[in-house]
Amino acid sequence: MSAPALRVNDLSVWFETGTGRVPVVDHISFNINAGDATGLVGESGCGKTMTAMAILGLLPATGVGVSCTGIEINGKDIHTLDGSRRRAVLGRDIAMIFQQPATALDPVFKIGQQISAVYRRHTNVNRQHARQAMLDALQSVGFKQAEDIAAAYPHQLSGGMRQLAMIAMATVCKPAVIIADEPTTALDSSTRELILHQLNRLQTLHQTAILFISHDLAVVRKSCRNVMVMYCGRLLEKTDCQSLFAHARHPYSAGLLSCIPQISDKRPAPISSIPGQIPAATDLPTGCHFAPRCNRVEDQCRTSIPQLDHENGGGAACFRPL
Amino acid sequence: MTRDTWQRLKSDRYGMSGFIVVTIFAIVALCVWAGLLGQGWSEVSGNRFESASARHWFGTNLLGQDILQRTLFGTATAFEVGLMVTVCSTLLGTILGGLAGWYSHGWLDEIILWLKGVLDSIPFYLFAAAVAFALQGSPWAMHLAMIITFWTTTARIIRGEVMRIKQREFIDAARAIGLPGILIVFRHVIPNTFHILLVQSTIVFVAAINTEVILSFLGLGIKNGVSWGLMLAESSQEVLAGHFGNFVAASTSLFLLLMGFNLLADALQDALETRGELN
Repeated sequence: MSAPALRVNDLSVWFETGTGRVPVVDHISFNINAGDATGLVGESGCGKTMTAMAILGLLPATGVGVSCTGIEINGKDIHTLDGSRRRAVLGRDIAMIFQQPATALDPVFKIGQQISAVYRRHTNVNRQHARQAMLDALQSVGFKQAEDIAAAYPHQLSGGMRQLAMIAMATVCKPAVIIADEPTTALDSSTRELILHQLNRLQTLHQTAILFISHDLAVVRKSCRNVMVMYCGRLLEKTDCQSLFAHARHPYSAGLLSCIPQISDKRPAPISSIPGQIPAATDLPTGCHFAPRCNRVEDQCRTSIPQLDHENGGGAACFRPL
Repeated sequence: MTRDTWQRLKSDRYGMSGFIVVTIFAIVALCVWAGLLGQGWSEVSGNRFESASARHWFGTNLLGQDILQRTLFGTATAFEVGLMVTVCSTLLGTILGGLAGWYSHGWLDEIILWLKGVLDSIPFYLFAAAVAFALQGSPWAMHLAMIITFWTTTARIIRGEVMRIKQREFIDAARAIGLPGILIVFRHVIPNTFHILLVQSTIVFVAAINTEVILSFLGLGIKNGVSWGLMLAESSQEVLAGHFGNFVAASTSLFLLLMGFNLLADALQDALETRGELN
């Protein structure tokens, strides 16, 4: 079997503070195959965006520590690359789509200029070729009037159009991996459908691997084959979407699913929530991070850390799975 | 975007009158440089202290030189000093301020801030005199003194603006497509400060013309040519004797041009500000 499009091995990220290390991402590993989308879900502050930034190597050089035994794209390790060789990979082999399309485009340049600039940075082509690639990219995300969009400034487009332009920018070099960091969070629900549709279409077309970061399980269910549930910097459950929604095995995943309100004929049940609060990153419990809030907790959970079963596709990191 | 700015500027009456005044002076300066106007500024073309006539519209000075010719030539001098100081100090201020802001709290920032602090703490006229003496009366001493001291304000403004802009998401996006830091500064950060640079450079332009007049009046300014400042210096003797030609011509021109520039700068700021809010 060929190497997965994206392989992340034992990635940890921590903040260096005056009082010591504060972990934000704690020994996580996963693979994404070409043409697959994997959702990374979790509450705000659980380390989703830090994971993405660490994969791209965009974390600040001071104050943040990263350790990792390998981040591979199509079998090529990018974690050990230095400055200019790493920059050559960014945008060409791996690209990122940001959460806020309003601010992720430079306001003083036209959309077309920004997309062509990405293409020209990674290929040795002249202006005409870059322009053609740019127009193709805009058309491929569904713009019929690609020329008009290319000549527009970001503020002249709506939020959804800007996000489509961002996707065109991310896909113009046809990267093997795309990290989409909450690409639909800032958009209304009908625009969200359009963005997800285009993203999934391009994923199938170019056989791109997508790491889809979201806090919205419904969006992940719609657009991803696999899903990883993250809590306080650790992966608690790693499985395919179908099994998660049919039968969540980790009590935290089950708790998240029960928080989705259901529409039914019956009298509405009160919206449930998970008791307790997310522990502070400076004061994490030993053992399972979810133990203090878990209703199935036992002594072992408080003293030792449950692990995912990586050999058999992941499952739940829990001593007493559901 | 620029068209919107121009539309807003056009609807501002004060701004437009400023723009027209500045344009007229600029045309005069261009004609002087092209050799069409003011070429007789050093010729003795009449008697001393002639009053206004068809031949000498503004009269003549102590030496019998035509004051109109000298005023026109002074316009070119004002623009030459203004343009040169504005372009050089804005470039210097943008580059140093941009680097300081991008690498804020690093060693480069410390050095640039230290340099700025040192230059800002020297009294300006003393500094101009020192540069003039050090350069043995070179005609560029005044320009140099202004460029060396004027960039600090621009740099301070740009540094702050760069520190604000570099937090924005499109800078992360630029890093995510593999652009090295130094290119991000000049391709994505500095272009986002153009609206501030435009306004700041009109302010520097005014300050340069103003300073030129004062320095020329003090004898530290223009060496080969004539300027409004030199005319005012001459008039300090003439006014006592009851001859106001030089004084009125030079101070009125100075007032009109600076007023025009200030109105224009103000209107520009308003026109560009609205754009900033839209983004």
